[in-house]
Amino acid sequence: MRGRLSLPPRGRTVVRLLILIVILAVVLYPLLWMLGTSVKSREEIATNIGLWPDVFTPGNFRDGWQNFDVSFGRFFANSAMVAVLTVVGNAVSCLLAAYAFARLRFRMRKIWFAIMIGTLLLPGHVLIIPQYVLFKQLGWVGEPWPYLPLLVPQFLATEAFFVFLMVQFMRGIPYELDEAAKIDGASPYTVFRHVIVPLSRPALVTTAIFSFIWAWNDFFRQLVFLSDLQDYTVPVALTLFIDSTSESAVGPMFAMSLLSLVPVFLFFVAFQRLLVEGINTSGIKG
Amino acid sequence: MAVSTAPPAAVPAGPASPGPASRRGRGGPRRRENIAGYVFLSPWLLGLMGITAIPMLLSLYLSFTNYDALTDFSAVKWVGFDNYRTMFTADPSYWHAVRVTVMFALIAVPLKLATALGVALLLNRAFRGVGLFRGLFYLPSLLGGSVALAIVWVNMFNREGAFNSLLSVFGIEGAPWVNDPDWALETLMVLAIWQFGAPMVIFLAGLKQIPTELYEAASVDGANPWRQFRAVTLPMLSPVIFFNLVLETINGFQGFTSAFVLSNGTGGPVDSTLMYSLNLYIKGFTELQMGYASAMAWVFLVAIALITVVLFSTGRFWVHYSDGEDR
Amino acid sequence: MHRAPSPRAVEPTTRHHRTASPGSGLRRRLLAALVVIPLALAAAACGDDDGGSAAADPNKPVELSIFWWGAEGRAKLTEDALALYTKKHPNVTFKKTWQANQGYFDKLATLTAGGDAPDIFQIDDNYLTEYASRNVTLDLTSYKDGGKLDLTKFPESLWKYGVVDGKLAGVAFGENTQGLVYNKTLLDKNNLPAPTTGMSWADFITWAENVSKTAKVPGTQDPSADYKAFWVWLRQQGKDLYKDKQLGFTEQDVTGWFELWKGARDRGATPTADVIHEGNVTDISKQLVVTGKAGTSWVWANQMPELKKNTKDELGVIAYPGDPSAQWARASMYFSVFRGSDKKDVAVDVINFLSNDPEAGTVLGTDRGLPSNMDIRKAVSESVTDPNMKQSIAVENELGAKFGPSPQVPLKGHSKVRSELIKAAEEVQYSRKTPAEAATAFYAACKAAIGQA
Repeated sequence: MRGRLSLPPRGRTVVRLLILIVILAVVLYPLLWMLGTSVKSREEIATNIGLWPDVFTPGNFRDGWQNFDVSFGRFFANSAMVAVLTVVGNAVSCLLAAYAFARLRFRMRKIWFAIMIGTLLLPGHVLIIPQYVLFKQLGWVGEPWPYLPLLVPQFLATEAFFVFLMVQFMRGIPYELDEAAKIDGASPYTVFRHVIVPLSRPALVTTAIFSFIWAWNDFFRQLVFLSDLQDYTVPVALTLFIDSTSESAVGPMFAMSLLSLVPVFLFFVAFQRLLVEGINTSGIKG
Repeated sequence: MAVSTAPPAAVPAGPASPGPASRRGRGGPRRRENIAGYVFLSPWLLGLMGITAIPMLLSLYLSFTNYDALTDFSAVKWVGFDNYRTMFTADPSYWHAVRVTVMFALIAVPLKLATALGVALLLNRAFRGVGLFRGLFYLPSLLGGSVALAIVWVNMFNREGAFNSLLSVFGIEGAPWVNDPDWALETLMVLAIWQFGAPMVIFLAGLKQIPTELYEAASVDGANPWRQFRAVTLPMLSPVIFFNLVLETINGFQGFTSAFVLSNGTGGPVDSTLMYSLNLYIKGFTELQMGYASAMAWVFLVAIALITVVLFSTGRFWVHYSDGEDR
Repeated sequence: MHRAPSPRAVEPTTRHHRTASPGSGLRRRLLAALVVIPLALAAAACGDDDGGSAAADPNKPVELSIFWWGAEGRAKLTEDALALYTKKHPNVTFKKTWQANQGYFDKLATLTAGGDAPDIFQIDDNYLTEYASRNVTLDLTSYKDGGKLDLTKFPESLWKYGVVDGKLAGVAFGENTQGLVYNKTLLDKNNLPAPTTGMSWADFITWAENVSKTAKVPGTQDPSADYKAFWVWLRQQGKDLYKDKQLGFTEQDVTGWFELWKGARDRGATPTADVIHEGNVTDISKQLVVTGKAGTSWVWANQMPELKKNTKDELGVIAYPGDPSAQWARASMYFSVFRGSDKKDVAVDVINFLSNDPEAGTVLGTDRGLPSNMDIRKAVSESVTDPNMKQSIAVENELGAKFGPSPQVPLKGHSKVRSELIKAAEEVQYSRKTPAEAATAFYAACKAAIGQA
């Protein structure tokens, strides 16, 4: 196996583990602090900045969950739906577009690619109003199903980030495989299905993970397009705890923020397994 | 800049399976590929034409007006290049924000990538619980720009915060970092670097894609681990490194949410964390100068496009692609 | 095996190029059309102004959209109050949207831009002029004069605080005034006297200095970044924040203000600049009096009960230093009607109901501030049980008796004036600028903000 230090294998693993643990401790400290805060009473949050509360207040979780007319679970469900659909839309549409850019020759490819990168670059805040007007004209805003403006773009590969990501991954797939298939008379569609897709797993997994998280955390766009409390998603709902001019239910907010990490974390842990299985190209070469 | 020229391999001649072109001869497969390209590209094209292009062009148009979001489009006044002129000559906050953003990107991006790569290498190994480790390192990135995180960060990095407690163990008296105009931006950088989990995951995926035979072959040739890293890992990983570099640079320059929540939407203290997009948001939404903000956005796009072009052209020298095309 | 393409293979592609040119021209024209059409449609949608069915069939089902900010508590109360209206007018239902005030005005601007502004929306004096001067809010004067909107039970200065350029742009919902909140427990523990209403600024700073020395906690937050403290201080000198379309103060005033507080900082009456910065926000949970980093905070009087919830200590509230008659009955927020709404009459009726109906008033309580209708205010005050709320109401009533006339509603650009003040004050607090330098910069920025550069 490949190692980087000149120590016996056991020693290397131990050192590796040690370094990881130290880094991990530093990285996780703020999160531990969040955990501690989520079980502090309201008075303590403002005054006690230590890690752990003097008065253990798990009620924050219950309060947070039940604070609104709808249980927080509803917000989780909404976010989950948006996130899952986003993942599906992105994975499919961006994969298609990436294949075109990475593997096919067609007229104006360079220009389209440049435009695609260009769409990544414009700050979203100046787009939201024109987008709102556009979606309103299309009749997608509001009832009956307010999620259209959030989801339809995902099925049309509007997230150039993922197209670019997949292009880069695809370019790491040896072109000889394509050629081999083409020699056997495969059309671009066949090459796509039988060569590229199976080998695109890391790209797809990465896209899935990031799509999920972005959709899960997208505050501004979800705020703009959702108007009914029942339709709200987690990032919007989290802000409802604190109105800076009136109430500030900080404890429940921390509790729900932490809770909202759980699904995303689980999603990630589940999917990252797929990254573990590397590509064994020996089978293909042979 | 963009994808390079024709591939070294030409279209193979010979009987092709009947494709949509179904034209026999040398034009056939080429034309078929052309069409296939557009077929695969069609969702993206539809999205571009229908959803992305119109708002972008609208915002370009608005950048030449005094649009304030509340007056309707028909009553908007054309002001030509006034917005651009003001931006470059009469608005001190503009160049200040540019400086802040450049400083942020120049320091935070390399550090974040280096950390991400380092930890990815450490985690690129199947040992027990590695999945959990990966998840835990990734956890900070999951928090995005939440208000809760901002509160945590402020409480950790203010005068009585945990960070200073740590420093006092070594006898150092810390500054009030997040509340100090000289250090607030650095606090923001630390926040960005802390969320290295995202590029780390991408590095992991890229590392996983490197065929193990290459390492086997290298060690058969007697290469030590460091040499293997330089000869196998780095080149094979270079497309992914490149990707991360470009994206993190773009993200670094575009950084909004962290600055927004950490400074309470002000860019404070005294504009020390006034990132470009935060300034843009303030101008557009808080001050209702949407036309001006649109102009700022387009200048930003051009600037970042130039930086991206530079990155793409330097990529030609060190990025190695397996499809035979080197940029 | 792999050969370069023959010359013959090249030709079809060039022919393709030529045939593609008119295609790309068509694409360009299509693009142009795609840009123009939504613009035109949006313009048409926004431009539409009347549609207010004057003689509406009172039994036709109507759904009004209403938008406000607040937390869950306010949402519940508002929804209950609206339910009361529906009970009395069964054909009227509401599409309610509420959220925290973070992002509220961003969303409101976006909705307005999209021609989708809610029929009724909550707004405050930071943005009232912005929206009113751009004709987004409906002018309610005719409704008031015609009796459809009854403001007779409102204190005159309060409802007049909703008049922008001679038009009644919003109905005041909730009155508040400046309140200096101090930590009673801390003072008692150290045998220190409480500050009193009417204390001069100089005396107050001395008092704070004393607290710092004795209780080892800075006596007061430094309010030099706080526009409402500056505003009161100006009014006590016969000036004002705005006068007609101009600023109501001079650069020297600003210098004086900054120097006053520099002195206070030098004497130790306030915390250090970094701690001051933490408190320079509107968040209740971050106010220094609550986080224990200062003995006093400068807030609105009706925020005292909420502040109390964040600390174990007892709190007290008085007016800002100086002559309390310089304070005024500020509308903590308004409800406005969208001028482009096609249900104007009903919308106004709803607002009238929420302001004046005794039952609705009781339900809404003091959540948005003191009820604007004096009768309702009396009824609500008597039924309040929370001692902190009682105290803040008592203080506001006591001060209310002394108020002078209200200032005009802040001009367009007020948000920027506020943020520039924070920036300028902090420059002085961090010793990066002298009071005079900061004042010059601030004054110039203000003039630019209100369009008088």
